[in-house]
Amino acid sequence: MPTIMTTKKSPSRAELLQGTLDMLILRTLLFGPAHGHQVAKHIQRTTDDVLQVEHGSLYPALHRMERKGWIAAKWEMAKDRNREFKYYRLTPAGKKQLVREESRWKQLATAVATVMRPAPGD
Amino acid sequence: MNVQNWLRRLRTRSWPRRNREEEFKREFEAHLELETQEQQGSGVTPQEAHYAARRAFGNITLVQEDVRGVWNAIWLERFTRDVKYAARSLRKSPGFAAVAVLTLALGIGANTAIFSAINALMLQPLPFSAADQLVRIYSIQNGMFNTFANPDGPSALDVRDFSQRSRSFQNMVAYDTWAKNVSFGESTGQPEQMAVGLVPAAYFEILDVRPIIGRFFSEDENQEGKNYVAAISAQLWRNRFDGDPSVLGRKIRINGEPYSIVAVMPDVIPTWVEPGRHSEIWTPFPYSPDLWSEGGRGERGYAVLARLKPGVSLEQAQADLSVIAAALAAEHPVDEGVGVAVKRLADSRVGALRPMLYLLMGAVSLILLIACVNLANLLLARNSTRQRELAVRAALGAGRGGLVRQLLAETLLLSLIGGAVGFACAEIGLRALARMRPENLPQLASVGIDCRVLTFTLLVSLVTSLLFGLAPAFMGTRLDLVDALKQGGRSGTPGRSSQRVRSLLVITEMAMCLMLLVGASLLVRSIMRLQGQNLGIRQDHLLRGRIYLPPVRYTNPGVRTRFCDDFATRVRALPGVMDATVTTVYPPINGWTQMFVIPGHPVTKIQDVPAAQFGVVDQHFLRTLGIPLIRGRDFAESDAATSPPVALISEEFKRRYFATEDPIGRKIHIGPPPLPQIAPEENITDDVDVTIIGVIGDFKNAGLALAPQPQITVLYSQHPLVNGGFKDILIRTAWEPHLVESEVRSQLHALDADMPLAEAQTIDELVERQTGGQRFTTDLLASFAVAGLALAIVGIYGVISFLVAQRNQELAVRMALGASHANVLWLVLKQGLRMAAIGAIIGLCAAFAAQKFTSGLLFGISPVDPLTFAAAPIFLLAVAAIACAIPGARVLRIDPAQALRQD
Repeated sequence: MPTIMTTKKSPSRAELLQGTLDMLILRTLLFGPAHGHQVAKHIQRTTDDVLQVEHGSLYPALHRMERKGWIAAKWEMAKDRNREFKYYRLTPAGKKQLVREESRWKQLATAVATVMRPAPGD
Repeated sequence: MNVQNWLRRLRTRSWPRRNREEEFKREFEAHLELETQEQQGSGVTPQEAHYAARRAFGNITLVQEDVRGVWNAIWLERFTRDVKYAARSLRKSPGFAAVAVLTLALGIGANTAIFSAINALMLQPLPFSAADQLVRIYSIQNGMFNTFANPDGPSALDVRDFSQRSRSFQNMVAYDTWAKNVSFGESTGQPEQMAVGLVPAAYFEILDVRPIIGRFFSEDENQEGKNYVAAISAQLWRNRFDGDPSVLGRKIRINGEPYSIVAVMPDVIPTWVEPGRHSEIWTPFPYSPDLWSEGGRGERGYAVLARLKPGVSLEQAQADLSVIAAALAAEHPVDEGVGVAVKRLADSRVGALRPMLYLLMGAVSLILLIACVNLANLLLARNSTRQRELAVRAALGAGRGGLVRQLLAETLLLSLIGGAVGFACAEIGLRALARMRPENLPQLASVGIDCRVLTFTLLVSLVTSLLFGLAPAFMGTRLDLVDALKQGGRSGTPGRSSQRVRSLLVITEMAMCLMLLVGASLLVRSIMRLQGQNLGIRQDHLLRGRIYLPPVRYTNPGVRTRFCDDFATRVRALPGVMDATVTTVYPPINGWTQMFVIPGHPVTKIQDVPAAQFGVVDQHFLRTLGIPLIRGRDFAESDAATSPPVALISEEFKRRYFATEDPIGRKIHIGPPPLPQIAPEENITDDVDVTIIGVIGDFKNAGLALAPQPQITVLYSQHPLVNGGFKDILIRTAWEPHLVESEVRSQLHALDADMPLAEAQTIDELVERQTGGQRFTTDLLASFAVAGLALAIVGIYGVISFLVAQRNQELAVRMALGASHANVLWLVLKQGLRMAAIGAIIGLCAAFAAQKFTSGLLFGISPVDPLTFAAAPIFLLAVAAIACAIPGARVLRIDPAQALRQD
């Protein structure tokens, strides 16, 4: 399943590693309930548009996590608009999952960083 | 998982589907609206903002499907949709569907039929409890054990010693089957010659078969004099006694003596368990006192059945008995060089059919492969003409996986329909086989379709569709979208690779087809030789019947001679009868081997003792059979019981033993020389000096497959010691032989109302029956070869037609530029013939390599017979040429102007 991809417009946009989308969504929801659009926009904004969340990946990911019980959904009226949105929030299981994914991610990041350390000659 | 659970899960999973779909739509629309508003914020028109938002959201249907995939058992839904679609697309091309289904049906049907035979003969459990404990015990001579022929059984004494000294067996019995005259009393019809099983009480106990009514034999009843009790089969009980429960205690006459029925046995003992013919009556095995004297140790040939103790392996039992056999061989000179072999009862059921089954299995596998290759070819061609359809679907968002799945669903559907049709064909085929079932293959009676066969068919169908549908599906979906769409209505030139694959497939097909052709024609030619060979007699208008003169009534040789002479004289007097003889030898029936001594040629070693086929006959033997007298004189009426015994020898006999001398007038001694290795009872011993009076033509006296062996023929009236109860009458008729049969019967009835005329057959029928197993295999293999050929031809035809269609324009250009029709036709033919020729060469090599599998089934022909190896490829090429010429002829009808004007 395609996770996320960058559009061809900007070369500075990075391709997201497989599996990291789940972690990003969970992390976003740590700040409080949000609907899908907000989640996507939040990720985009906080990364200065480097990471673009495709809808094609977002919705299946949200629904998959809902099915796994990491997040729960509820239809609620938006405060600023006269419209109902499906708000997702983190469940205790989701919090645990986030911790797991974060530690894995840190491990990975450290590992990559070790490899990419400036060579002695540089 | 149980089905109910599964269904419930499925229901709870898909029940809220509608809601979820709605929900997703709502969620999605809300976000779309948000996105649109945001886009509008950047100052474009509402219309543009809407489109931008849409673009940002991508392929909504795909997302929707992915989301649905998260929640639903989507594979099921996809699967049903794929199958529905496949059914629709197959309905639209009924020609393709029909050819594919028929191809598969042929392949799967043939495999199902043969598998059901293998299932019945090798896989199905025996109808006995703890059947893996049941074994047979055979004698082996000097380490030789012939698994295909009937192996020798041990003697009763050996079995007694095995039983007493071994520790591996619960129980062990020696038993036998004899043809006997059976009459059921006045009210229950004609007397009949039947196979009567001579079995000790323990026989049924070892098999664990209990009587329906009545009791087992007792140990006591194995003694001579107390043995006049009989068990009958349930079938006989129904046929002769209407299933009357008061049958117990009723008397039947066996060989003129009354036996009371003490048990009715269920019909569970398969025919092949009993040696010779199927027994419907069993009597105790009266061990006569001399059976237990040491003189009887050489009397081998008993069938032996034993049940292993629980936990004892076959190897342990074999080791146990081998030690005992070695000890016996050291103790008794007669047992020198005689070993023992233990075989599972289940393994003895295949017996002589094993090589035939392997051959047929090989043949049907080839057919299935050819069918599959054809299917792959058909699918390749079909997929390549569907490039545009597939490209359109890909452009509309179908992933490659989806397309492959779709194409596979089609193949799967084809395979399943093909499997079902094949299954029906196999069922019909098996019924037909059961009807033409050769009598000497009783094992085939149990062949039928059961669960295992069904599973097999299903599995074969699934595997074929996966194996041979996958590659074409992948090749078909390797699309260059732009190219495929740009080509407009024109079918694309096939890529080089798919063309190569297709010709490779045809080559494989041709190779396999050639192997089938070679195998089948070798078998056909060998059966023709077997049946068409000269028996050494005048084979037509010759009727044979068997009689048995039981010793109770025919107490001495003189009485037997008188009865046989009376019977033959009465038969000769019948209208339509030209001559008749009572004899123990005639082709293709094997006589028995008799040792003899030529005075002045002493022998010291047992293997040097001269031996010949031996027959006791009457004076009409030569005349009735039409055997030529080469030298000397025939038997005459003056050669009576009291005059000096005389003998006729065959040319082969003269060649072997009187190569340089004139045998006429020479005396030989019938009977073995006095050597310590020869037990007195080992040979049916005659003990008479005879004078050779004539040399007769050779005739087939050692079965159909072997060359004539040396033959001695004497008069039974002059040889009381070998004037036994088993005699056959041969009748030379002027009419159709079976027309005189009933008159012969009534003559016999007039002489002895209890004596049946058994197995009345013409010699032609007898030969036919003896070659039945061969014939059966040959017919099957020949029909498989025809099927394989048909499939291969369809294959090459399809490929060439496809190529012609593809090259239509190229060929038109060539013709427009002045190529002659012949040139263009040759261009097409060449392609097909090249494939056929390469295939034929590979097939020849494979057939050459397979010779050791066929050689055992052939008669009078080499497994690499040059004529067959030359004719089969020529035939294949010729047929392939015709198959290519039909689409090739289409080329000739091309109107270049029109073909070039096309797009």
